[in-house]
Amino acid sequence: MADLTSADPAPADPAPAAAAPAAAALVTEGLAKLYADLVALEPLDLTIAAGEMVALVGHNGSGKSTLLRLAAGLLEATAGSARVAGTPVGSPPARAATSYLPDDPVLYDDLSVREHLAYVASLHGAEVDEDNVERLIARVGLAARADDLPSRFSRGLRQKASIALALVRPFELLVVDEPFVGLDATGKASLLELLAEANAAGAAVVVATHDASYVERVSRCIALREGAVVLDGTATPQDVLSIVSA
Amino acid sequence: MAISGDPDADLEWSLVEWRRFRRRKRLADVHWVDALYQAYLTALLGALAVLVLGDVVGDDAVSAAGLRDVRAEGPAALAMVVAVAVAVALRSGSRGGPLALERADVRHVLLAPVDRTTALRGPAVRQVRFAAFVGAVTGAVAGHLASNRLPGADAAWTASGAAFGLVTASLAYGAALVTSGLKVQPWKASAVAGALLAWSVGDLAGTLPSGPLSLLGRLALWPLDLDPSGLVPVAVAAGLVGVGFAVVGGVSVESAERRSTLVGQLRFAATLQDIRTVIVLRRQLAMELPRSRPWARIVPHGVDRFPVWVRGWRGVLRWPATRVARVVVLGATAGLALGGAWDGTTPLLVVAGLALFVAALDAIEPLAQEIDHPSRRDSVPVVAGQLHLRHLPTIVAVSLLIALMAAAVALLVAPPSLTLEVAAAVVVPAALGTAGAGVVSVVMGAPGFSPSNAALPPEAAGLRMAVRTAWPPVLATLGLAPVLAARAAVDSGRAPGDAVATAAAVGVAPVAVFAFVCAWVRWRDQARAAWHRQVESAFGSKPEPATDG
Repeated sequence: MADLTSADPAPADPAPAAAAPAAAALVTEGLAKLYADLVALEPLDLTIAAGEMVALVGHNGSGKSTLLRLAAGLLEATAGSARVAGTPVGSPPARAATSYLPDDPVLYDDLSVREHLAYVASLHGAEVDEDNVERLIARVGLAARADDLPSRFSRGLRQKASIALALVRPFELLVVDEPFVGLDATGKASLLELLAEANAAGAAVVVATHDASYVERVSRCIALREGAVVLDGTATPQDVLSIVSA
Repeated sequence: MAISGDPDADLEWSLVEWRRFRRRKRLADVHWVDALYQAYLTALLGALAVLVLGDVVGDDAVSAAGLRDVRAEGPAALAMVVAVAVAVALRSGSRGGPLALERADVRHVLLAPVDRTTALRGPAVRQVRFAAFVGAVTGAVAGHLASNRLPGADAAWTASGAAFGLVTASLAYGAALVTSGLKVQPWKASAVAGALLAWSVGDLAGTLPSGPLSLLGRLALWPLDLDPSGLVPVAVAAGLVGVGFAVVGGVSVESAERRSTLVGQLRFAATLQDIRTVIVLRRQLAMELPRSRPWARIVPHGVDRFPVWVRGWRGVLRWPATRVARVVVLGATAGLALGGAWDGTTPLLVVAGLALFVAALDAIEPLAQEIDHPSRRDSVPVVAGQLHLRHLPTIVAVSLLIALMAAAVALLVAPPSLTLEVAAAVVVPAALGTAGAGVVSVVMGAPGFSPSNAALPPEAAGLRMAVRTAWPPVLATLGLAPVLAARAAVDSGRAPGDAVATAAAVGVAPVAVFAFVCAWVRWRDQARAAWHRQVESAFGSKPEPATDG
């Protein structure tokens, strides 16, 4: 099990990867989403294996966020189905297995960062180890603000709190939507390390991003255009730019 | 990071403990003076409402004939109230209501492996409890007022009124919870709601047998006739609420998230009487999106000579089917009410006016878009007032269609004394009243902050806001005044031609008012600026910001 809260970003414990479940982290079959007469996602067949690191790219409105929100169970499919760790999206085991890091941080007005972490961890049956929580808070750069209310934070600080919330709880699939927006250089570097560690610990990580250089850090790139997959495999930043600008 | 959590952890208990913790924090933040002031305002407004209602209801005992009417038609009339409440609840439930969760709760609780039924039952119980309390208090007040005019003990009327209000609220909330928990599709919920309303209207008009909801009306009239069948809806309401609590976990997370984002803003906008924002948010809540493909495409031919007119119709032609249906239903409702008003029930004219006003809030969409995006509007080389004015022909054209529909329905349902000529004479004033009401509502906008408003006590500021809100519906109703004038001419035995002439003569007033509205739209900004310059030169100080009216 990787310890994300340690100062050393290298994965420390390979046990979870070995213990990772055999089922694919995410499987979609004909998954589609329409908003009235607008097609947000064409029927999509996709399999993301456990422990895979995937970049999801595409221009604005290509369907990236829709796919991630469907996988997280926030949206309901118009057609088709999706399964996380072998169970239907939205079922309690799938909810336990999926951690969603949104592009818009959603936090309580009346809980401090530390209270948020304790709350979310307890809702997922995670043991709240004070030292680990402190280390996680430090790694996202909120050590000095841990007892403050996020409602008084800037966009970037709220994003950092949201990152900590996504990582404080157990998961097998981490879906991340535009995570670098609003982050400073240190915050971005920390997030990249944390995502790599989560992946090294055995979790599948899917990151939707406009940052073309991110594809160099992943083994697989899925590009969407008009709600349909136009590339699925390895890609270079130049490939991504050509897809987005096409 | 762990791959899986503790399988033996009691997640629901954790949730309960955390909610208690947050409630304690919230209560600690409430100052007793604020709580006391809120209680004072509630009591004051409640007392005012009771006084006003008491004055309206009066305290003269009803005649024997009136009592017969109450016995015969009372249950159906009360069933109509219940039908409206249940219809609203069914539609709300089909869109994820009645619960409006915190957005963070949707993200962190509903996406956690916590049992959703357990997680949502607490908020649902609190909401039903509050609704039942409000229903019971409202019903008790109505029962007490009824006892002034109807035979029977005050306590009996108050108790039966309270029971009616409580059961109505429970029935509506139970229906909403069940609809939401079972994810009933909006069109199915609307169909059931429509059927209930139609049955109640038919029951009230005597064309359909007594509907199930009239049993609840009988409960309210127990002091007159102790009918045990009134207990049936009590059992149904209890059952619905019970089923609702059992299935509440089935709520659509997508709808819950949408509601969590919009309902708070919607309530805030409603509190500020910002009708345009309420309309826009309500459309978002209902996922009422413009059509990607218009009903008909306007093909451009070179440079448009009337770009604002064309832009207006392009917007109208992208109305979603639900908006078209709503405007048709509102036009038909106005027609039915006009028919009733022609038949002698004068207050129905207000119902028709209200229906046309609500339809106008859709008809003014092209102009409203302009006002919603002031920076875009101000980027064109045309004075804002002039640009607004150029939108009015489209609005009048849409309003004419609505008025025509209302007139057609009125002709169908009204007695034969309402001739085609009279209806035709009413159409133009009604359309201009409708258009004027919508235009005034959207151009006036939300009440803004001004030092003079801030200095007013809440009671006076509230009255001022109420008058401001009532003004547009009054304009819509004024457009229907020719109906009353024509009816008076017919009732006094004058020739049909005289009725038409009278309607046309009275119709000049709404036309003149609309002309004034056009001038107001065109010159409003300049007039305000001139007024502020006058104030500044008279008092030597800067006037208050021009944000209101």
